[in-house]
Amino acid sequence: MGESSDDIDQMFSTLLGEMDLLTQSLGVDTLPPPDPKPPRAEFNYSVGFKDLNESLNALEDQDLDALMADLVADISEAEQRTIQAQKESSQNQHHSASTEASNFSGAASLGYGANVTATSVSQYVDDLPPPPADPVLDLPLPPPPPPPEPLSQVSLVVKVHMDDNSTKSLMVDERQLARDVLDNLFEKTHCDCNVDWCLYEIYPELQIERFFEDHENVVEVLSDWTRDTENKVLFLEKEEKYAVFKNPQNFYLNNKGKKEGKETNEKMNAKNKESLLEESFCGTSVIVPELEGALYLKEDGKKSWKRRYFLLRASGIYYVPKGKTKTSRDLACFIQFENVNIYYGIQCKMKYKAPTDYCFVLKHPQIQKESQYIKYLCCDDARTLNQWVMGIRIAKYGKTLYDNYQRAMARAGLASRWTSLGTVNAVTPAQPCTGLKTGATQPNGQIPQAVHAASAVLEEAQRQAETAKEKRPAPGNHREPAAPRAHPAPRASLPPPPPVRRSSDTGGSPAPPDDFLPPPPPPPLGDAELPPPPPPELADSPPDFVPPPPPPPVLAGDPGSALPPPPPPPPSLRPECAGPSPTVAKRPPMPPKRHDNPGLPAGGGSGEQDFMSDLMKALQKKRGNMS
Amino acid sequence: MAGMKTASGDYIDSSWELRVFVGEEDPEAESVTLRVTGESHIGGVLLKIVEEINRKQDWSDHAIWWEQKRQWLLQTHWTLDKYGILADARLFFGPQHRPVILRLPNRRALRLHASFSNPRTVILSLPQLFSGIRHPEELSLLRKKKKKEKEPEEEVYDLTQVVLAGGVAPVLFRGMPAHFSDSAQTEACYHMLSRPQPPPDPLLLQHLPRPSSLVDKTQLHSRWLDSSRCLMQQGVKAGDMLWLRFKYYSFFDLDPKTDPVRLTQLYEQARWDLLLEEIDCTEEEMMVFAALQVPGGPGRLGVAGVRASIPLTPLLPQDSLTAIPELKDHLRIFRDGSPAGELTLKGYRQYWVLFKETTLSYYKSQDEAPGDPIQQLNLKGCEVVPDVNVSGQKFCIKLLVPSPEGMSELYLRCQDEQQYARWMAGCRLASKGRTMADSSYASEVQAILAFLSLQRTGGGGSGNHPQGPDASAEGLNPYGLVAPRFQRKFKAKQLTPRILEAHQNVAQLSLTEAQLRFIQAWQSLPDFGISYFMVRFKGSRKDEILGIANNRLIRIDLAVGDVVKTWRFSNMRQWNVNWDIRQVAIEFDEHINVAFSCVSASCRIVHEYIGGYIFLSTRERARGEELDEDLFLQLTGGHEAF
Repeated sequence: MGESSDDIDQMFSTLLGEMDLLTQSLGVDTLPPPDPKPPRAEFNYSVGFKDLNESLNALEDQDLDALMADLVADISEAEQRTIQAQKESSQNQHHSASTEASNFSGAASLGYGANVTATSVSQYVDDLPPPPADPVLDLPLPPPPPPPEPLSQVSLVVKVHMDDNSTKSLMVDERQLARDVLDNLFEKTHCDCNVDWCLYEIYPELQIERFFEDHENVVEVLSDWTRDTENKVLFLEKEEKYAVFKNPQNFYLNNKGKKEGKETNEKMNAKNKESLLEESFCGTSVIVPELEGALYLKEDGKKSWKRRYFLLRASGIYYVPKGKTKTSRDLACFIQFENVNIYYGIQCKMKYKAPTDYCFVLKHPQIQKESQYIKYLCCDDARTLNQWVMGIRIAKYGKTLYDNYQRAMARAGLASRWTSLGTVNAVTPAQPCTGLKTGATQPNGQIPQAVHAASAVLEEAQRQAETAKEKRPAPGNHREPAAPRAHPAPRASLPPPPPVRRSSDTGGSPAPPDDFLPPPPPPPLGDAELPPPPPPELADSPPDFVPPPPPPPVLAGDPGSALPPPPPPPPSLRPECAGPSPTVAKRPPMPPKRHDNPGLPAGGGSGEQDFMSDLMKALQKKRGNMS
Repeated sequence: MAGMKTASGDYIDSSWELRVFVGEEDPEAESVTLRVTGESHIGGVLLKIVEEINRKQDWSDHAIWWEQKRQWLLQTHWTLDKYGILADARLFFGPQHRPVILRLPNRRALRLHASFSNPRTVILSLPQLFSGIRHPEELSLLRKKKKKEKEPEEEVYDLTQVVLAGGVAPVLFRGMPAHFSDSAQTEACYHMLSRPQPPPDPLLLQHLPRPSSLVDKTQLHSRWLDSSRCLMQQGVKAGDMLWLRFKYYSFFDLDPKTDPVRLTQLYEQARWDLLLEEIDCTEEEMMVFAALQVPGGPGRLGVAGVRASIPLTPLLPQDSLTAIPELKDHLRIFRDGSPAGELTLKGYRQYWVLFKETTLSYYKSQDEAPGDPIQQLNLKGCEVVPDVNVSGQKFCIKLLVPSPEGMSELYLRCQDEQQYARWMAGCRLASKGRTMADSSYASEVQAILAFLSLQRTGGGGSGNHPQGPDASAEGLNPYGLVAPRFQRKFKAKQLTPRILEAHQNVAQLSLTEAQLRFIQAWQSLPDFGISYFMVRFKGSRKDEILGIANNRLIRIDLAVGDVVKTWRFSNMRQWNVNWDIRQVAIEFDEHINVAFSCVSASCRIVHEYIGGYIFLSTRERARGEELDEDLFLQLTGGHEAF
């Protein structure tokens, strides 16, 4: 079995490599004839693969499948040929870390958005019976270097929607911060890594959306989503994200004296900006921009809006009660920020009859449905909206926001420029991620952090530079503890973790690997206790992670977005797939089996299907050889 | 030397008689008469005086003060001619250091010897004297307010006897600078300096003057002493009281470890600013400020002396360390909406409640417990609000539990403090995603109990007798923690729960953390750090208010209080003072010129404020401990300084 799995691993890795390659070249209109350059492919592959490794152990078969499917989805037909070629030619190359820089520039234009959501929460148990070996798991990985992480770690496969309507799936473990995920995505997408890139969550149902703050724990945020949620994670550029640090004067020097709503952004020289930022963010306490003005407030449960005069203070949003003045003593508290997040409201004009479309929304992160506890406010214009949203973020996150920005800057490779600004010593690289929302402290509570050595920045910068050149082998990139590369122990025993999340599931004994090659993992759903989860469009794990994850196979695409890769076939179906695959193998490939599978959302591109069938075929072949 | 005479007794040189009084500006004082010439050096004169007095004494600190010119004659190599002294000069031979009473930001008084001859040593010697109060340049002295009536005598800590080891940083001894550990008295003094004072008497608070308008707020700033002139020159007499305050709201490098005194005094100044309504805040903010003043939390218990009243007995829910801690009990629960009456039990139903990890489940009865609960709530991320009235024996926990659909409200009603404290602590931890196995559980329970016991003895009750003999006078009077306008707005029993609610978020802070948090919250107030002056802008016919902050000047409408215009120091090119017409003229970038004359205070004070902030802003770059005093004086001194 070891042998077979090795082969399969190889295949898988090869495929991955191809996919990356192809993805890259997607941005370029004219693809040169597949002139598969194995090395390049390999390299890419390793980039992608590293993430896999990180939480491989925690993965269930289904999840892997899902992941794979998603990855596959990125591939276009053109790529197929490459693959074909590669299959023969480059099987053994996958660890020849090639340093060749590929045509990366093209790739940058591909925004990748990520979306997935997913699912695997698994607890890895050593003594489980040999899991239905998912061949993929046994990939000839570089020997697991790092010491094992705590075994009980939880990971999700997240589908991230790129801005070109494609998606990418990646593993996110429970300690990764949005920053780490962004870094991952940078590697995968070869974008320009500028500070505007962000993870963005959207709630189609509520029509609200917001940035993930870089210090936020991604799994924690996703765990607030309901199982059947339509919410998505996007990867895109938003200049609003750090606008305050680029042009602080637009937020801090909003001269109250002049009332004009001048759209013109005042110009300010770099030195003054720097001193303004230093003044605002580096003192004993962060200064929240002075912001006040009339906004519309949606009345609870109605579609009517009332105009009130609101003021932003570090301690919350206040309004001026009728007949009172706006002096501090008369103000009434509207909301404090401790338990709410801020979102942009989308098309509130239509949905709630808002006076304008410039709305922002405050709600507890766990609330997912319409509720009187969600507060909607509406501004007169976009500039005001941005000022409020930024102001509230500053009030809520305080210095953390600035730290995030500096880290993002460092990541963006602008270290040299930064240094010239003289603020280097203020850079505080974010701490290693922790599962806690450490960042969410109120600004007032922030004690100025000890200044970190500039070297950290430089290091970051360097790293960045290297990454940019694509010279760097992926594994080096992450320093976070979060990336356990492998769990040696489990590995040794070889069994990829049983797909099962709960011990109850283990009852379904995994079929011996030899029998069917893609070993059918026990149907995740099937177990007694769990009703098979409905095919959620986005699976997400329940908040506490305890409950069974939604059936992985299904989880994929949101109905909303047409594109994305169909989720991997449910494991149980796999054998089936294997059967037909031979026929499918010929090109033009038949419609993917995936579609045949119940519960799978339709919608993969044909190319992807082909690819899939290809894969199946290959698997089949392997199996054949082995047996 | 002067005084050659002929045999007949006539002086034949150009000498003349100079009369010098001995002592401090007292015309009745003993005097000596010397024979001098215009060429006599001051040093020689001093020698002669001492010879004449002919008394064994340490005269080293003595110098000559020229009354008419309000000037010390400190240049001993200068001649009388050079100073321009003639026979009619009224000179006093007296000590340069004299006792003054310094009123600290915490409103405690301290007697010490201050230099009456050197303008800056009063302030600059503070770090050595107090140790742990770096950056004295942020401090300055205020003249005492003119008293209308006699204030009650206050205790004065005496530091006049303290001898400082010259030049070196003070050595720490028993946790305090060595020179404080000499006697119990000085030790007490150090504690006064470095620890926050107990809340003031609410009655006193009500009677202290509070500014009712911006104009009132300008009064304070007319009293600043000039930092380029010595105390003697400014008419300060020995034994006078001076106020020491943080003048410049730009606190550089605030570090609790090296600056215990500075932090404490800053905290005290902030507190009094708030209590006396020098700076306004909202109700919510006031509650946080109040909560931060409350002793509580593990680090703060010792200070307020609540030790005796904390029942420490059954704190841990489980004896076994291995078991997952859980709470189970009969509790009354109320769902949906708020309970009707304050003290009634109406609407509450009794359930068997089980609290494990972060999840709360309740059942109709204990027997049904193994089955499905009526409701199960995961408290992670929920809001926990105390709803307690100790004197009314009401111990409720209000839970706002978020769910995808919204928030659900739930009231848990406990029977007594003990039960309340255990469940409350569990809920709080659960809301942060932690379980009762967390190490902070026990201290959380204690903090809650401590706070309750404070309440029990304090003003929270409406005619209810304090419970038990351990109720001491140290109880919490919420009125001492808030500005008087909140005293008028709320009854004590309304105020206490509000403070309690805010307190739960800060209960775990140590004393120092609480102080720092207090200062930060103070700094976050929109009106923080603005010093007000009444001025008349050039070309304007009415008085207006000029606010000076650490980074900007603000023109404020006197009547309405609205900000008319803001100028930032970073755009400032230069500023000039025309001392004759008392006008300050400032030029900003882009040829913006502003000029105003000062009405409520001398323009020298305004000038010094601006120069002071400019000076302080240079610290960022230099970052050394060494202060450039010359630069400071250049920026803040008037033309006389040169």
